[in-house]
Amino acid sequence: MKLYNRKGINILLEKAPKTPRISMSFFFKTSKKEKYYGINSLLARLFLQGTKNYNASELALMFENECIDITFKAKQDYFKISLIFLNEDFKRAMELTKELILNSTFDDFEKEIFKMKGEITADLDNPRFKLSDSFVKNIFKDHPYSSTHTKILEDLDKITKEDILKAKDDFFKAEKAIVLTGDFEDEEEKLLQYFEDNFDFMRSYDTFDEIEDIFKNEIEKDKIIKIVKNDVAQAQIIQGWLVDSFKSENSAKYSILNNILGSSGLSSRLFVNLRDKQGLAYTVRSQYETLLHSAIFNMYIGTAAKNIQKSLDGFKNELQKLADTPPDEKELKGAKENISGRLKYFTQNNAQITATEGYNFMMGLGLDYNERFIKEINAVDKKDVSEMAKNLLSMPKLVVILAPEEYLKNI
Amino acid sequence: MSYIKKEKIEYPYLEKPLSVYTFENGHKAVFAYKKSPMINISSWVKTGSINENKDNNGVSHFVEHLLFKGTTKYPAGAFDRAMEEKGGIINAATWKDYTFFYINIPKEHYELALNMHADMMVDALFPIEEIGPEFDPEGKPPEVKRERYVVIEEIRMGEDNNWRKVYKNLNSAMYENHPYKREVIGTKKIIANITQEEITRYYKTFYIPKNITTIVAGDFDEEKMIELIEQNFKFKPSNLEKAKSDPQIKEIKIKNPKTVTDYSEINTAYIMLGALCDSAKNLKETIALDLISTILGDGKSSRLYSDLIENTKNPHYYQLESCHYQFKDGDNFMIEANFDAQKKDVVIKELKEHLLNLNKITEAELKKAKKRAKVTFAQDSEMVSDIADTIGYYATVCEDLSLADKYLKVLDEIDCRYLEEIAKKYLHPDFVSTSILLPEGEKNETV
Repeated sequence: MKLYNRKGINILLEKAPKTPRISMSFFFKTSKKEKYYGINSLLARLFLQGTKNYNASELALMFENECIDITFKAKQDYFKISLIFLNEDFKRAMELTKELILNSTFDDFEKEIFKMKGEITADLDNPRFKLSDSFVKNIFKDHPYSSTHTKILEDLDKITKEDILKAKDDFFKAEKAIVLTGDFEDEEEKLLQYFEDNFDFMRSYDTFDEIEDIFKNEIEKDKIIKIVKNDVAQAQIIQGWLVDSFKSENSAKYSILNNILGSSGLSSRLFVNLRDKQGLAYTVRSQYETLLHSAIFNMYIGTAAKNIQKSLDGFKNELQKLADTPPDEKELKGAKENISGRLKYFTQNNAQITATEGYNFMMGLGLDYNERFIKEINAVDKKDVSEMAKNLLSMPKLVVILAPEEYLKNI
Repeated sequence: MSYIKKEKIEYPYLEKPLSVYTFENGHKAVFAYKKSPMINISSWVKTGSINENKDNNGVSHFVEHLLFKGTTKYPAGAFDRAMEEKGGIINAATWKDYTFFYINIPKEHYELALNMHADMMVDALFPIEEIGPEFDPEGKPPEVKRERYVVIEEIRMGEDNNWRKVYKNLNSAMYENHPYKREVIGTKKIIANITQEEITRYYKTFYIPKNITTIVAGDFDEEKMIELIEQNFKFKPSNLEKAKSDPQIKEIKIKNPKTVTDYSEINTAYIMLGALCDSAKNLKETIALDLISTILGDGKSSRLYSDLIENTKNPHYYQLESCHYQFKDGDNFMIEANFDAQKKDVVIKELKEHLLNLNKITEAELKKAKKRAKVTFAQDSEMVSDIADTIGYYATVCEDLSLADKYLKVLDEIDCRYLEEIAKKYLHPDFVSTSILLPEGEKNETV
């Protein structure tokens, strides 16, 4: 991926010869707190609900007639417009996208709020979703990252059109980038000129990021949240901590710990010891999710309700084993190769490359981050892995359990 | 064993045609060239719930799990570790017509991957200590819980998924006698009691060379790869029994449409309407159903979304779409919606009206749907894993790889009148079964 700056517009281009579809993203960095939870999500949905020139149905038809797939996403650290289309439809895709960005009216409030409430309610009917919602909300407390479905549901009716317009303005005053991966052969200069002439509103500005870092648990001692749901066939358990994110030297170490513990696939320790050897679950895993201002390390299992304590003990034992005895060289080397292979797997097509490189750039990680990350991974030694496991064991943890009432009494 | 036949089959959006090798024992190998740092190696077996009966329902999926549990050469877990420590992503899946096993791995490790993959396919041992003891699922759980219990946890996981509950009831309602009627995963009772003997019998019956297509997609030396396949796929003589299955009753139209209503601790309602159609091997009809699905319920410009969500003054849907599943013994066409439970009767009426309205399809709708079909084909050629999956589908469900090449040509032949005929033939409201999942609170309202 190459970075160009044309009249203040960051443009990232990656040539992908002989590919039939172009993938593009317009990234906007999130630097302001939402006035109400859900403003950015609602903004994302309203972009497709009508412009000064077309109503929502006409817009949908124009995009879908040409098979131009467009999505708007409000994530914790950025707002993103993503497009995928056939190479020959480039100009049409750009015209339509510009129409949405510049002329959206954001009028269709009631209908969109109705749909959003319904979708959120349906999502929360899913036990696993309900568990995750509670975990994120409680671990991030009042931080902007705690913007979960249940919090959005509480705030949705307070949001006004002015709030939406303000949020849009804030994104346009922030750092931005246009990212494109596709088969543009020798048209690079033409492409850059096109963006310069047509997308001057994508010029970047330096803004003060008012979202604070939150890397340490604010909970003082272990906390367990119990969610009663009596008609479930499985209990859902998640246990986690706030930890250092990608800008910390511990990030690569946590990545290796995560891989060995529960994210390499069918050979991770949680998978082998809790699933294969004890038959406790179909799904059991760990996850290290990095964000700009924080990161979460967690372990998850879906298990028969009578196995709740056994599963919690299993989480603790696996972490304790790694704290007490570092992995051997073979396991460590395997984890490093697994991470490297997964990175290759998830950066194969144009859409994946655009998403990964665009994200790295927007988070200030640089265009060489993937290579640097692998170097950092390769520098981790086995004692580092134990040290991270010890860190987790020494910190108060948040545990959320969803199960029928009778199984929660003695936990 | 050397191959006895080599064919070249054109495949859209790939630089080279596919190479298809057939061995004397019936085993097939298909090679797809795509420049990529990853290579995908998979074997597709022509078996799934289609070959099960009421007593062994779920065995195909259980066998899929157990293939990872050791061979003569490698103990349980060795394959998983060896592949993942080389950066591989491995897994398997079972569906009604097929079971497949795959490895996505950086291409430099292709030789080890092919060797271990072949070993797993031809020499699975099903050790009793990995299967776990039989037990009564209603009684005390066993002391030792192994893979048998993992599958039971997987069944439990599905029981908590609302869409899966609705689909299970619809699927059961749509068929009279066909094995498709049953859930692919089986039941807790069957899995808790199925014997090692039955598992081995099933494997020996269906994991035979003529039922298996091995696919390699990526950037590799073709001659070297065919040599490796010849060397490594050494099927055991005991696996060469003739494949046999229960007699099939072809059901391609619902004879006695049913409506099934179920209740759960939920806050919104779910509905699925389903119709049976002809086999996926009927390429023209299958493409027509794809196009109808796009027109009816794919995207925000589709009829369902536009009429019932975007342009209605009285909204009651939260999610609404149509879909088309392809099967060897007959496709399924479905509409699925998540909605305000109090509007159940209106929802059924509206969805059925939209099926009736398929008697008129416009040129503009057809044009849009055709472009979507072409783009989907292009999209499926972007990654080695997607290429292999598409080839696996044509080789296993359609049993004819040349259909992949014919797809775009047949697509061009289809006109609006043909779509209207197909809609009339299969999608009339009188032919569809309905499954509804309502909040517990609605029970009193409807009794």
